[in-house]
Amino acid sequence: MAIAKAERLMNLALCLLGTRRPLSKRELRGSIEAYLEAGNDDSFNRMFERDKDDLRELGLVIETVDNIDGEVGYHARRDSNRLPPLTLDAEEAAALGLAAKVWQQARLAGAASGALHKLRAAGLPDDADPFAGNSALEPHIPVHESAFEPLMLACRDRRPVVFDYRKANAVQPAPRQVEPWALECWRGHWYLAGFDRDRGAERVFRLSRITGKVRTRSGGFTADVPDVVTVRETVAGWAGESAEGTAVIRLRSGAGYPLRAKARSVTPLGEGWDELEIPYGHGLDASLVEYGPDVVVQEPAELRADVIDRLRAVAKD
Amino acid sequence: MAAQANAIDRTRRMLSLVTYLRERPGAHVADVARAFGVSEAELISDLDVLPLCGTSFRGGDLLDIDTDGDRIWWHNPDDVAAPLRLAADEATALLVAARAVSTLPGLREGDRQALLRVTAKLEAAAGEAAASSSRLSVTFEAEGGVFADVDRAISERRRLWLRYYSPARDELTEREVDPIRLFTVGHTYMEAWCRLSEDRRTFRLDRVAEIRVLDEVSAPPEIEVRDLSAGLVQPSADDPEVVIEVGPGGRWVAEYYPHDSAEELPDGGLRITLRTPDPASLRRLALRLGRDGRITAPAGLADSARAAARDALAAYEAQP
Repeated sequence: MAIAKAERLMNLALCLLGTRRPLSKRELRGSIEAYLEAGNDDSFNRMFERDKDDLRELGLVIETVDNIDGEVGYHARRDSNRLPPLTLDAEEAAALGLAAKVWQQARLAGAASGALHKLRAAGLPDDADPFAGNSALEPHIPVHESAFEPLMLACRDRRPVVFDYRKANAVQPAPRQVEPWALECWRGHWYLAGFDRDRGAERVFRLSRITGKVRTRSGGFTADVPDVVTVRETVAGWAGESAEGTAVIRLRSGAGYPLRAKARSVTPLGEGWDELEIPYGHGLDASLVEYGPDVVVQEPAELRADVIDRLRAVAKD
Repeated sequence: MAAQANAIDRTRRMLSLVTYLRERPGAHVADVARAFGVSEAELISDLDVLPLCGTSFRGGDLLDIDTDGDRIWWHNPDDVAAPLRLAADEATALLVAARAVSTLPGLREGDRQALLRVTAKLEAAAGEAAASSSRLSVTFEAEGGVFADVDRAISERRRLWLRYYSPARDELTEREVDPIRLFTVGHTYMEAWCRLSEDRRTFRLDRVAEIRVLDEVSAPPEIEVRDLSAGLVQPSADDPEVVIEVGPGGRWVAEYYPHDSAEELPDGGLRITLRTPDPASLRRLALRLGRDGRITAPAGLADSARAAARDALAAYEAQP
């Protein structure tokens, strides 16, 4: 089956690229064996439309022209399909080889190696070792979220989507209607920024909290897409990294290296304790409670109360 | 679905293959297979299909490509095989990856410059196809200074001294390691042979408190490189099982802790089962969860979290 389809797509691509004038559907059908065997007109038409879409996904620019006979003609002009000249030195070729290995997501990994093949076919030397003389680095972009691929396509094609989303503390997922703008991966997790139609405002979604399928909706975007979409700043805010306040804590000597690493000051108090001034933002109570009896919050009072509250919940469990 | 993707990828490869073969008459099967990242058998099966393809099967203008199993010949090369422009997904895949790597703190300047140059050239060559690449972006995190030292140690084959933070024990330990590789999956990690534990260890760069490149030669034993596609944490079947029950506010645990199962609970929470060589390291998690969840097995873990919380509360009472 796969062979039949690849063979059919190759033939369609070569016909469209080889022709000097637009070809009608009838002419294409007469030129490609698989179409002759396609059975009735309906199944041929469906097959032809799908194949045309597949070739466009592969980058082929297929023009549609109204023929003189009133029939539509199809044509992949050489000048609009030809790769512009691209010359890379050895370092650049190695950098490109490295970039082509970064994606672990099937569709983009396939696209990256497909791009590399096109460039090699066009003359890029294929003996460049991507690691020779480079930083000894293996970068990987992780994609574990099943919502990634449909959202990537919806962002690319600017198509509205609907999906069920479970907010951080929600008991049940709720449907959201979103005009997707951009996807961003930060610390190994993917986020979507877009216009939430029900809320009438920009929202950032974490892909792992999307449950069920992402479905595209017909029609276009209703809200303007901003020139710059900032996902990371929003997420960093959730993670408490936009901390503006200061908290004072006592920390047992030798414990809590991450707190020391971000401390604004560390003062030894003697008897095995230090006093630290640390940035205070959203979520600090949850991270301080992890240190159990090695941290005692001094101020502010609300943080101290939050931590005591959390400790009580564990103590009486 | 797999066959579908396969047909598309295969078409993509065969289109590039004809361009490639036009430029290289008599190319060796082995070289072409390597250039396209496929096995020789896969390449031969592509070469079986190509002679069935042409600009019209009736006009007798099929591609006359054949191979004797060693070299490949195209007897009627045609300018239909001009290099094709990049598709939107192809440009996006390369550009997003190149931009992500180029912003890694600590990357060698030469590499960064090469990535930036290649990004600019690709953008120019891809034209409109590059436009949607700005809708995807990736930030890799690394501690620049630590990254540069590990990178240097690997290329100069030198041993490293580390002061490394272990969150499981909330302690810093000093160790000497022989670095094997640096990899980035959101955060950046070093895989190394740890001379303290005589075992392979993975170190997250933002947990390295101090690092020094030593004069000693690095000599990690010959070990098989780990396949990271299965995940960073790969617990063994003999590791003890931990069961965590969380409410809706604790569902994030399933996103951060690799687990065997996560069963939906009627209240919107989850029962998460995972394995870890060191369940005591999860005391932190039990404390953090508070009323959003509790660890139900092993029993000792919940007890130790409860004891730690009581000790902590005693300190607050002593100091009102």
